[in-house]
Amino acid sequence: MKIEENILNDVSRVSLEGRFDADTCDTVEAFIRERIEKGRSQFVLNMENVPFISSAGLRVVIIIARELRNEYQGDLHISALQPTVNKVFEISGLNNVLRIFDDAEDATLGFSK
Amino acid sequence: MQQSYNFPADTAVLAKIGELVANAGRSAGFDDIEIGDIQLALDEVCTNTIIHGLKSDHSKKFQLVIQWNQGEIEILIHESGEPFDPMDLDDPNLENLLEGPSAGGLGLYFLRELMDEADFRIGRDGVKTWRIVKRKA
Ligand SMILES: Nc1ncnc2c1ncn2[C@@H]1O[C@H](COP(=O)(O)OP(=O)(O)OP(=O)(O)O)[C@@H](O)[C@H]1O
Ligand SMILES: [Mg+2]
Repeated sequence: MKIEENILNDVSRVSLEGRFDADTCDTVEAFIRERIEKGRSQFVLNMENVPFISSAGLRVVIIIARELRNEYQGDLHISALQPTVNKVFEISGLNNVLRIFDDAEDATLGFSK
Repeated sequence: MQQSYNFPADTAVLAKIGELVANAGRSAGFDDIEIGDIQLALDEVCTNTIIHGLKSDHSKKFQLVIQWNQGEIEILIHESGEPFDPMDLDDPNLENLLEGPSAGGLGLYFLRELMDEADFRIGRDGVKTWRIVKRKA
């Protein structure tokens, strides 16, 4: 799993590359948690280059989004889901409770609206 | 066609298993979305096998058997770790994923949603076997 961060207008855009599964989910969680500790609370999780997500990856998304909303008045926006990954968000119902955008730009702008 | 493999209880093998089953699914004539379903279902079983069943003990192994014909794939996962009974489990609370006390329990739910058959048995020798099947619609 490759992880990159870009900061734009105080929004941290975290772009993942690779499978988001039980083998890689801890790395993603630690990466975002480190930024939360440094004071960030608005995140875009850009999944353009994620071909696969399992329940282990979804669990990290759920835990981080919940924490950002409940403890930091922040949020985690999701962007650029590939079709098979999008299907997993749909059957889990997560698409109903998270804000999901077509691309990372929209997801970033979503914080100023 | 039938293929059989032994893997150590290490989550690093999940990517390889995803590739193997995608190749088998493609040979069996499944489309990309169907292959995604099969990959996810198998990943969930193998993740549970590695983490819950074998406690990520890299010295322990589980067996994976993939068999397919045109339009049908059947996968068996054999493991002899912690006993468990999937009948004891409740469905996850999908309405309250962000509020509920824990974020777990999605794995077996995906399995039931995505495959045409998913059954589990424990043999007298203590070997646990998942059998999951998908057919082309
Ligand atoms: N192979 C197994 N051996 C022992 N226990 C298992 C096995 N597979 C599943 N379980 C038990 O069944 C429970 C439910 O599994 P399920 O995959 O639905 O959820 P989870 O693994 O806890 O979380 P998630 O998959 O959402 O990350 C597990 O928490 C575990 O207690
Ligand atoms: Mg699981």
